[in-house]
Amino acid sequence: MRTPMSVLRLPRGPDPNSRGFDPDSPRFIALCSTTISSSTDTETDSVQIGEEQCARSMLRESFLRTLIAMTNKQVQFYMYERVKVNAVFVASDIDVLNFQVSDLQTPIGVQKEALLRCQDVILYSFDL
Amino acid sequence: MAMRQTPLTCSGHTRPVVDLAFSGITPYGYFLISACKDGKPMLRQGDTGDWIGTFLGHKGAVWGATLNKEATKAATAAADFTAKVWDAVSGDEVLTLAHKHIVKSVNFTQDSSCLLTGGNDKTIRIYDINKPEAEPQEITGHTSAIKKALWCNNDTQILSAADDKTVRLWDRTSTAVVKQLSFDMSVSSMEYIPDGEVLVITYGKTIAFYNALSLDLIKTVDAPASIHSASLHPDKDFFVAGGDDFKLYKYDYSTKEELESYKGHFGPVHCVRFSPDGELYASGSEDGTLRLWQTEVGKTYGLWKCVLPGEFVLNWVQVWRLSWP
Repeated sequence: MRTPMSVLRLPRGPDPNSRGFDPDSPRFIALCSTTISSSTDTETDSVQIGEEQCARSMLRESFLRTLIAMTNKQVQFYMYERVKVNAVFVASDIDVLNFQVSDLQTPIGVQKEALLRCQDVILYSFDL
Repeated sequence: MAMRQTPLTCSGHTRPVVDLAFSGITPYGYFLISACKDGKPMLRQGDTGDWIGTFLGHKGAVWGATLNKEATKAATAAADFTAKVWDAVSGDEVLTLAHKHIVKSVNFTQDSSCLLTGGNDKTIRIYDINKPEAEPQEITGHTSAIKKALWCNNDTQILSAADDKTVRLWDRTSTAVVKQLSFDMSVSSMEYIPDGEVLVITYGKTIAFYNALSLDLIKTVDAPASIHSASLHPDKDFFVAGGDDFKLYKYDYSTKEELESYKGHFGPVHCVRFSPDGELYASGSEDGTLRLWQTEVGKTYGLWKCVLPGEFVLNWVQVWRLSWP
């Protein structure tokens, strides 16, 4: 009878809470300038990368502030297939994959608590 | 002491795994991408199977996936009529290329500047990744859905396999057919080995090896069951194959002798590929898992550890538990 080959451990599986691509991994840190240059056509020098980073930070901060401003407000979500629904925005997950909403008004009734899939949302609007 | 193969099971997918591809060897090791009918292709560390990230964005089953040599870019082909290009370091979607039907196959050129796509609209397309808005170059001729399209001969030619039971060799510049192979049944898979210009084709229970430049037949080997995919070892001493009977077969390439067969998967094996260093091969199955298999069982590599006789007694319980699938 042959003895089975030993293993140190099993391969690590996916993290249920995130899509991965750990920004603290050595590969990400070393190659992350590639991720910026992948969005620009021409060769970038460090000044251009710096400017782009500033713009990205500003846009990201504005976006996060809109999420804060939206909390507990009535929001209209315009989605694919001409779907328009109203709901009270509660929270977003870290990768902006899902929005948690309350009192979602649907054609078949009001859903007390629901998750909206962000990739299905085309635009959303709310009054400040 | 002869050792028994302990495959490493990579879980995470929730539907059948239909395609997988390795990157080249990079300063950070090599990587593996898997295409799955759950629409969420995954990137894994190639030598351990550890999950790195999931590419999110496709709205349908992903039929094909590939990495560039440096594992900095990934491309996927899906049933949502798009092929997507991804940044394989950050996981971000870089490009979406709309098609008129299900896309089945994607392949980068050596310099990652162009992407080859093929699918159910029977047309091969070449996209310039740096000019995605430009119209792709189109190559028509196949009369049925294209299963696989690969760059060959230093990216000057293209090999394609389709459900019209042909494999065609095209010239990239003239877009004309250079040579064509016809079969009695549909080709189930195709692998191109640039080093040595070998083409591995599977159909029915047969694994066939051709010269990739001339399309001359080198040899054929018949397996006990219908084969869905096969892969030739980089040193061309072994090849592995898997298919309908859920098993992985390992053959000696020179003598065509069946050396080993391994059970483990709970469903048909859809894809199998050797790693770039030849130390392991990965298989993807209808059961939703990927499994990593050692080429040389007993060697310490990746997560596999050769345990000395003294150590073995202490580890026996752990090994017994882990060897259960």
